[in-house]
Amino acid sequence: MNRRILTLLAASTLLLASCKKTDEAQAATEDRVGFIYVGPRTDYGYNYAMDQGRLALEKDLGVKTVFFENIPENAEVERVMERMIADGIKIIFPTSYGYLDPALNVAAKHPDVKFFHGGGFKLAPNLGTFFADIDEVEYLSGMAAGAATKTGKMGFIAAHPIPQTLRNINAFTLGAQSVNPKATMNVVWTGSWSDPTKEAEAANTLADQGIDVLTMHVDGPITIAQTAEKRGIMVCGYHADASQFAPKGWVTGASWNWAPLMEKIVKSVKDSTWTSGHLRGKLSDGYVKLASFGPSVPESVKPKIDSVKKSYETGSKLWSGPIVDQAGKTVLAAGDTLTMEKVESMSFLVKGVVGSIK
Amino acid sequence: MEIVGTLLAIFLSGLRGATPLLYVLLGETVTERAGIANLGVEGQMLSGAFAGFAATVVTGNPWIGLMAGALCATLLSCVHAVLCLVVKANMFASGVAVWVLGGGLSAFFGIPFVGRRIDGFVAPDFGSLKDMPLVGPLLRTLTPTVLLALVLWAVLGWFLYRTRGGLRLRAVGESAESAATMGVAVMRVKWMAILGGGALSGLGGAALSVDQVRNWIEWMTAGRGLVAVGLVIVARWNPWLALPAALLFGVVEALTLRMQTWGVPVSSYLLSTFPYMVCLAVLVWGYVRARTRGGMPKDLAQAFARTE
Repeated sequence: MNRRILTLLAASTLLLASCKKTDEAQAATEDRVGFIYVGPRTDYGYNYAMDQGRLALEKDLGVKTVFFENIPENAEVERVMERMIADGIKIIFPTSYGYLDPALNVAAKHPDVKFFHGGGFKLAPNLGTFFADIDEVEYLSGMAAGAATKTGKMGFIAAHPIPQTLRNINAFTLGAQSVNPKATMNVVWTGSWSDPTKEAEAANTLADQGIDVLTMHVDGPITIAQTAEKRGIMVCGYHADASQFAPKGWVTGASWNWAPLMEKIVKSVKDSTWTSGHLRGKLSDGYVKLASFGPSVPESVKPKIDSVKKSYETGSKLWSGPIVDQAGKTVLAAGDTLTMEKVESMSFLVKGVVGSIK
Repeated sequence: MEIVGTLLAIFLSGLRGATPLLYVLLGETVTERAGIANLGVEGQMLSGAFAGFAATVVTGNPWIGLMAGALCATLLSCVHAVLCLVVKANMFASGVAVWVLGGGLSAFFGIPFVGRRIDGFVAPDFGSLKDMPLVGPLLRTLTPTVLLALVLWAVLGWFLYRTRGGLRLRAVGESAESAATMGVAVMRVKWMAILGGGALSGLGGAALSVDQVRNWIEWMTAGRGLVAVGLVIVARWNPWLALPAALLFGVVEALTLRMQTWGVPVSSYLLSTFPYMVCLAVLVWGYVRARTRGGMPKDLAQAFARTE
């Protein structure tokens, strides 16, 4: 009997010790803003970028924040949201794509709490979404890659086939094809937002096949950037600037700047001017950024990239026809543009992309 | 010629993927041959990955990183040893505690090392050899951690079946009581087996963070420690079979990545289950053919049967 109690004690102490303290100082003020991340906020990627926004809220607006990391995209996130609400939090940012339906469930039960989902396309009276036009930066990044590639073969390592990733793959590929019409793109899905072993091996597999520019849509860009550098090929980053990890092979990259958008949201809730809707940050407002160019980007393409960037800033649309899918079918006729709804529920890959979206 | 190149590339990709698994698999085999299962290898592997990366950042020397990884995971495995051998806790509960502890501690202490850069092992200059077909990719893949894993595989296979120490270890796992009657210091052997397994799982984690990925991300092993625990059964608790078992998993995984780049119209989610399915199929095939309990040490088998 004694032994059993000792065992139980030992095991539970260990379990407790290993749980990280993320919710200290739970002062019951309604000012606090809750954040939920699908991975670690220190991933140097998607969650890191979101967390920079959270830190800016604390610094610039003086609000207190609470965050939970590594929350899976299932019923678990509903429990986390319920717990935040029980603690008196009135503004919640469920930042990952897969949190949308759980957030809608919780939102329906708590009409007095406001939810801001990252990148989704559904609404509730107390749930709005926010995102930024990162695809425009992906297009510019693709232009640089298309000009830099020698073999004309590019590789894209992404986590899951969802509209956000398909949109980035398509934008990047279209950008590359705008300067290099024959450029192709091979896609490898890793099935996880963060599995560095698989990311490195996917990068190796692509490099083995003569692909000389890699880019990615996973939580952190470092592993793939380093593997590309080691294999002597080029790389375009995502989420955060990773040029120091690939000094020779760095092309450029797309990154976020969430602080201004999040501050706008929280201010509008505080002065009661917020109404539910899809808030999208624009390239011209600096909510998304193109990283600096690496040594392999030819000078000749830089003015072209700049002029496309200016055209986006003056209202030109990335998703305008003609756009042809993998199978050669025209998904958008010349002269037409995709509606925001169509863009955010994208379910095709453009011509020149090799990969399955199932 | 091109097909040979492709096959070699897939094999080498599989070998890289199998390397961290092989360390952990060998370590867990040693531990289980002494009659102790350790589910904590996932946490030990993570602590090894963290300590290896951190020590490499601080010292700039990847060899010190490997040693730090092995040491850190050995210390963590002491927790399992104390819980199982001193407190006589249930080994599965203790393993889970070590797993969560390793993951949590490594994530916590790893925060300052996120986004740091290490150079890993610098490859020797092979000159014109590195551009040769077949030879170049082979030389590029045989990094120190891959070679060390292969050496350890041979050493442990030899140790377990050709030395007195190996015999004692196996005897303890088959029947600790009989071994004790024969004058074997059972407790000491079990301690060594758990700590040795700890060191190897730490090396596996460090091989991942210091050599293969050269990056630290919390929970970066993504379940590979547990895969290794499963592969112990596929390898029938035989260190000689550890290499083919790890390679089987690694090569099938490499093949699924390669198949994606060919554009095969199969869901990537289904493809990613192939390594597990193939290993399961081999396991079932092995059991059907041998019609035995698959080489599980007898005392360990009792731990599964125990219903106290």
